Amino acid sequence: MKPPKFMYCDPDSVEEAVALKSRYGHDSLVLAGGQSLMPMLNMRLANPDVLIDINRVAALQQITRDGDVLEVGAGVRQSVLESDPAVAAAVPLLGLAIPFIGHIENRHRGTVGGSIAHADAAAELPCAAVTLDATVVLHGTAGRREVAARDFFEGFMTNCCAPDELVVAVRFPVTPAASGSAFVEHARRQGDFALAASAAVVALDAERRFTSVAVGVAGIAATPVRATVVQDALIGQAATAENIAAAAAAIGDTVSSADDMHATGAYRRHLAVTVVKRAITAAVENAAAVERNGS
Amino acid sequence: MTTVENEKPQYKYIGADRKRVEDPRLLVGRGGYIADLKLPGLLHAAILRSPVPHATIRSIDATEALKLPGVVAVVTGEDCKAHMNPCMNFGPSSIPQFPLAVDKVRYVGEAVAAVIAESRYIAEDAVELLEVEFDDLPAVTNPVAAMEPGAALLHEGHGSNIGYERTFEFGEVAEAFSGADLVVEDTLHWGRSAGMPMETSGAVARPGLNGVLEIFCNSLNFSYFSFLIAGALKLPSNRLTMNPVPAGGSFGSKFTAHKVPTLAGFLALRTGRPVSYVEDRLDHLMNSDHHASDRYYDAKMGFTSEGIITGLDVDVVDDYGAYMQFGVGTHGNAFSQIVGPYGFRNVKYHLRAVLTNKCQQGAYRGFGSEVHNWVLERLIDKAAAELGLAPEEIRRRNFIQNDQFPYKIPGGNVYDSGNYPAVLDKALGMIDLEHWRKEQKRLREEEGRYIGIGLATTQERSVFSATEFWALNDNPDFPLTSSPESATVTIDPTGQFQLLLHCQSMWGNSPETVGTTVLAEEFGIEPETVNVSYADTARALPGTGPGGSRYTVMLAGAVRGASRKLQRKLVDIAAHTLEVAPEDLELVDARVQVTGAPEKSLSLAELASTAYFFALNMPPGMESGLEESFTYDHPYTTLPAADRSDLGVFYPIMGHACHIAVMEVDPDTGRTSFLDYVAVHDAGTMVNPKSLGGHVTGGAAQGLGSTLYEELAYDDEGQFKSSTFLDYLVPTANEVPPFRLGHVETPSPFTEYGIKGGGEGGRMVTPSVVSAAIDDALREYGMRVRELPVKPADIVATVQASIARG
Amino acid sequence: MTSTENKYDTDTRTVTLRVNGREVTREVPTRLTLADFLRDDLDLVSVHLGCEHGVCGCCTVLLDGGSVRSCLMLAVQAVGHEVETVESLSADQNNLHPIQEAFAEEQGLQCGFCTPAMVLRTKEILADGQERSDDEVRDEISGILCRCTGYQNIINAVQNAGRKLRCGASGGCGTAGDEAKGA
Repeated sequence: MKPPKFMYCDPDSVEEAVALKSRYGHDSLVLAGGQSLMPMLNMRLANPDVLIDINRVAALQQITRDGDVLEVGAGVRQSVLESDPAVAAAVPLLGLAIPFIGHIENRHRGTVGGSIAHADAAAELPCAAVTLDATVVLHGTAGRREVAARDFFEGFMTNCCAPDELVVAVRFPVTPAASGSAFVEHARRQGDFALAASAAVVALDAERRFTSVAVGVAGIAATPVRATVVQDALIGQAATAENIAAAAAAIGDTVSSADDMHATGAYRRHLAVTVVKRAITAAVENAAAVERNGS
Repeated sequence: MTTVENEKPQYKYIGADRKRVEDPRLLVGRGGYIADLKLPGLLHAAILRSPVPHATIRSIDATEALKLPGVVAVVTGEDCKAHMNPCMNFGPSSIPQFPLAVDKVRYVGEAVAAVIAESRYIAEDAVELLEVEFDDLPAVTNPVAAMEPGAALLHEGHGSNIGYERTFEFGEVAEAFSGADLVVEDTLHWGRSAGMPMETSGAVARPGLNGVLEIFCNSLNFSYFSFLIAGALKLPSNRLTMNPVPAGGSFGSKFTAHKVPTLAGFLALRTGRPVSYVEDRLDHLMNSDHHASDRYYDAKMGFTSEGIITGLDVDVVDDYGAYMQFGVGTHGNAFSQIVGPYGFRNVKYHLRAVLTNKCQQGAYRGFGSEVHNWVLERLIDKAAAELGLAPEEIRRRNFIQNDQFPYKIPGGNVYDSGNYPAVLDKALGMIDLEHWRKEQKRLREEEGRYIGIGLATTQERSVFSATEFWALNDNPDFPLTSSPESATVTIDPTGQFQLLLHCQSMWGNSPETVGTTVLAEEFGIEPETVNVSYADTARALPGTGPGGSRYTVMLAGAVRGASRKLQRKLVDIAAHTLEVAPEDLELVDARVQVTGAPEKSLSLAELASTAYFFALNMPPGMESGLEESFTYDHPYTTLPAADRSDLGVFYPIMGHACHIAVMEVDPDTGRTSFLDYVAVHDAGTMVNPKSLGGHVTGGAAQGLGSTLYEELAYDDEGQFKSSTFLDYLVPTANEVPPFRLGHVETPSPFTEYGIKGGGEGGRMVTPSVVSAAIDDALREYGMRVRELPVKPADIVATVQASIARG
Repeated sequence: MTSTENKYDTDTRTVTLRVNGREVTREVPTRLTLADFLRDDLDLVSVHLGCEHGVCGCCTVLLDGGSVRSCLMLAVQAVGHEVETVESLSADQNNLHPIQEAFAEEQGLQCGFCTPAMVLRTKEILADGQERSDDEVRDEISGILCRCTGYQNIINAVQNAGRKLRCGASGGCGTAGDEAKGA
């Protein structure tokens, strides 16, 4: 299990990386943290002519607060993001979701942009990005553009990047202070890809009615999805166990994943309901805790 | 057959927690594994594996591969057919196997061709350039369908996909069931898993002096079978020298693992150059030397209304895969403890070993007896529930009693000794079952949580005899009866000890710690001062190697035997020097002294100096030097009856264990977790309790893997689905609970110091106890674990179906 | 663009990095993994290849102090970084580092194949000097598979090593409870 031959390029600027990507297009692959691509190279499931390693691009490794947006460079390591108190304060969901990504050895190398660009429907960061209404910043020969996360993921392991485009950052809206966040995942073993996972960010009014609900689900379709049917059912409703359970039940019908050796489709339908229910419930509890601590 | 007193004597070294002498080198990263061996001019092999389950090989075109710079050779099954004999094989000779597929492929992952190149990178590049044309044949993936007339044949020369079929009946089985008050039946499937050590199998071979082929490999026990590898390579056995290399884990996967060294040896012979073949994880998952048991059971057990077992009737179809390399030895293991710790006398066992387009089977910690344990315990739990008996009570009522040992079981094997109630009581004393049963009820009612308690009492046979390899066959090709182990002990001229072991025995067990502990016990020296080395096959005395939880028992026997010979010589030299009678001397604390008079003594160094350099001070006629070897044969084995109405004694050193698990099951996710787990084992006299505890824990973790996580899966078309470590789920630390351990010591009357084997024990019990706990947690949903691994999806499906039924 | 192409159109590179405290410079194939570089070019065979697809963790090394899978990095990516293998603790069997000694005392190993990785991970875990529960340790070592021990003795070894590092080689500052009181 050894990587095949490739032309190894390690540009040190976004511009040079984009130029290489533009030049080699589909014959090239971008190497970020390598936690998914390197196994594919070692197993020769990927066989690019050109490998564009962006780890030396210092400009991709910044975390910056831009008003109500936290912009995380594509090259920021997941373990940096998970342990950064400023990130936890600004977008609590990130700190809750990232520990579910593989193991610390993976997160020390794995990058935010790499996970987003890889577009695995069972992965945590894509699910969080969709839930948080993040935008993905792309850079191509024509310059920079931003794409809403929910539009970025186009299909199974497929994103909307043009051949000359590179994911350079993800912009996460700062979570309103009175919100509650939660991430619930079920995998065969801790650290494995989710069989199903759900992210939830909620806000409640004084009567404990939902004023905002954002719920994302991983592992149940070709892309991470927003559980709009659940969100719509809960807005304005009281945050009771019964209401949450009733709303969550609707997500089961949206599950399109087929049977595999780890889970049946029927199981995923049941699990999706369960993780959505538990994520919303935990987010509600978190919101209450935030309120208590804030007051 | 030697015997020792059942009362355990006091030992100074045996029975104490000691640091392992193997560990310092491992801790600095110098384990000396096969991939660390770098010989000058070493070439590297990579294997093209079959992408299809069943096909004839029409052609292999290596033109492009051979053009690649750095590629030295491409070797195929045609070369094997022309220049080799089939590999060693304990199955029918009509089912031959070569290390590369000859004429046809029979499973996804079977080796088709080997590329030899200057680096593994280049070899893998060249594998991608090989062009192979296959003519597909129907894939046979269901073992029951494989037996149907008209099913595609895997081996035309064998004429059938049934590799072995036979019914064994001991006692009065029909009467046992007709007279039973209760008969429980079940259909059970034990799925495929494998030892899956972190280090794969590997071998380095090089043509040496005088036409000798040298093979270095991490296969265990090759000193037992190197002549068979020589035979496959068409070499006189004295022109093959196999060199022991420590293994990074085996758990059965490197037990008699012959194809990797055979292939490396063949590639070295074909190229005339040193060649390394070390499996990568994909090689190992798809092929390795073998996967483990994959059995489908229809089983039933009869009971009286009091819960006393009247008989057992097992119909088992074992999905053997494409070859029969070890015959049906894994069922011989089931026969070694076919009644478990229970005293029933009537057993019927119908076995069909079926050939399918999957990887062949072989050893995995328990060697098939763990599967039988699971079947027994599943049936007993079912009966307990129907009879309203607590799991501990139904087992206690059926235990073989302490005064019945040695106890001959149906089928012929003998259990040497045991104290099953003591083991059960110890386990019950470590965990408050009444508390947990109350908690179970309370948590269900007050918090909606599902708690289950599982309990299992199983046998843990140890120290196989070679008759088990063939005893189930009527006309075995090679009905051997020896399974010895040897040791050579040398005291050098300054009184320092050398211990030479005669097989590859280091795979994560602690043969060096055991051997040095025995020497310490015998001579009063410090164990850490002994140097241990391993003989290659050109120099090895008879040895069998680790496997079947035999090595500690056999090594202790061998080292003690050699020690006694040396002690006699030391005493004779001392008697001559001190001018006293030998019978007036004793060996105490590394000195030979006049009994009760330490002032009249000689140190080992003084005696050694005499033995090497002062021949005129020695007793007349005595040989110079201080080196003795001893070959310890199996302490108690007998031949099977010609008609197999009795299989003889082949696994008599019988350990025992009781595990109790308290688990929580989440019916909405299928997630399982442990609230408590106690494991009590009786492995006779313990040599090093901490090491034994480590093996119990490690084995239990593997049992947990086989029960909940690990699966070598094929789809209906024969495609292999578990080809990465993201699909074959080895438990991480997060999946394995802290096991609380307890020990009971019932010394064996047949072994030196009363030691029994304990290397496999944990895995013999965990599947039974975890299955029972899951059932108990979800009893209201009718949960019954009948297939392993039991996955979260299975649990949720059962719960949901039960809810749907109302 | 032509100059760019020339710059990258090579199968080998000269790499300079620090390994176990020493600067090393070698010419390596660009596709060589860091694991193979350490094993084959530097003879640091403590870096074990268990799966080569980033799951087993046996090839774990510390990169700038953090544990990473060296099978999932190219040697050329380590340029300018500091790599530590288990030899950086002690390569002397007769003079083990306290963490290695703790593994020996607790029998936190059997076959030794995952052991260098576990020892390195332990060094990283204990770098903060904090006490932790067994469950915390269990989670913290879960990225490295051990097939022999069932993990309990490894967890015991991490705890023992923590005591040694906090309280001196003997680990003799009393029980965890005593330490808590003292702290």
